[in-house]
Amino acid sequence: MTMTQNDRLLLNAYIDGELDPAHVLEFEQRLAEDRPLADERARIEALRGAMRERLPRATASPELRRRVAALARPRPFGIAKQQLAAMAASIMVAFAVGSAATYLAIRGDRGELELLVSSHMRALMASQPVEVASTDRHTVKPWFNGKLPQSPRVIDLAAQGFPLVGGRIDVIGLTPAPTLVYRARQHVISLTALPGSLGARGPLRPIDGYNAVEWTDGSLAYWAVSDLAAPELENFAKAFRAGEAEP
Amino acid sequence: MDRGDSKARFANVVIPHLDDAYSLARWVTGNRADAEDVVQEACLRAFRGISGFTGGNGRAWVLTIVRNAAYDWLRKNRPPAVVHVDDLEAVERMRSADDAPPAGDNPEAALIARANEVKLEAAIASLPAIFRETLVLRDVQGLDYREIATITDVPIGTVMSRLARARRRVIEMLGADR
Repeated sequence: MTMTQNDRLLLNAYIDGELDPAHVLEFEQRLAEDRPLADERARIEALRGAMRERLPRATASPELRRRVAALARPRPFGIAKQQLAAMAASIMVAFAVGSAATYLAIRGDRGELELLVSSHMRALMASQPVEVASTDRHTVKPWFNGKLPQSPRVIDLAAQGFPLVGGRIDVIGLTPAPTLVYRARQHVISLTALPGSLGARGPLRPIDGYNAVEWTDGSLAYWAVSDLAAPELENFAKAFRAGEAEP
Repeated sequence: MDRGDSKARFANVVIPHLDDAYSLARWVTGNRADAEDVVQEACLRAFRGISGFTGGNGRAWVLTIVRNAAYDWLRKNRPPAVVHVDDLEAVERMRSADDAPPAGDNPEAALIARANEVKLEAAIASLPAIFRETLVLRDVQGLDYREIATITDVPIGTVMSRLARARRRVIEMLGADR
């Protein structure tokens, strides 16, 4: 006797307890009479048993668990303790400069801000938030040279309460963007500079609790993203802009 | 929704299912490091989309996001692994016509029951992605047909046929490897 595809579906559903009671009775009668069907049942049950008993339970590693839990913690910078143990708090400044053509292509109403917030959050979840760790801007700035056509202006804001942490390169849309990392108090800020100036625009609404501030300087638009309270983020922006005026 | 709310919801809805999320990602991608990347990306998506979770089955919601993140990963990193579903089902239909199992004293069942971990994993890993995920969701994660249909976004009938075929293929592989 050959087994039809329908028999197979019924058999699997029977084994999985997905048959309704009326069909269960009928099917059990068939199983009692149909040897090939009963044999196939034994094989499937054997497979299920083997999978249940032999396959190791895959569990998320403590490292992965820690990274994911960091998303739900009040302080997103709870991660990367090893590198930054000395820092009670951090600010991350993402400083992105890229090609105007690719940047314009991704630029939307809220689109660019969402990309920046996502980048910021990804960095927070990564095991290491910076690729070059240094509080010295004369170390961080040259690191970008040769990696990107333009290296970002790196400003020392330690005196204002925003010491430098380091830098990395993010990709915003399709644009590789140099990223500077600063710290201050117990919060994290991402400041991103992208080519192009901004038109007049109302205050940015928070996304997932991350505030944003933006301004234009010359041919660059700067974006600060952080879980820091909005007024403090404004202070950071002011300090950064004031810092730029110095040599 | 303010951040405190979304963080609390994320902690309640997503984090309890992290092992399941990782397990599914591990089976789809085939290795630990890629599975971690997929879970991380999925958790970010879940966090961003937590306000869209309307309650109900949190596990199915999380696994749906993980599944989609895993497929995005496959498309990007292993394009050949994502076979067009229609093609695959056609191939399967042709195969299943003549694969009646042998009758007899059923030594195969004993063989399957003794299959060691390595053979079993290899057999499951060799299944095409959509068959593998259906089998894993059912027999590793223990989800019912309706949940699997929701997560993989297909009718229950498709879940049934994928599951039946996945099991048959694994049985053939284990039974043939004497």
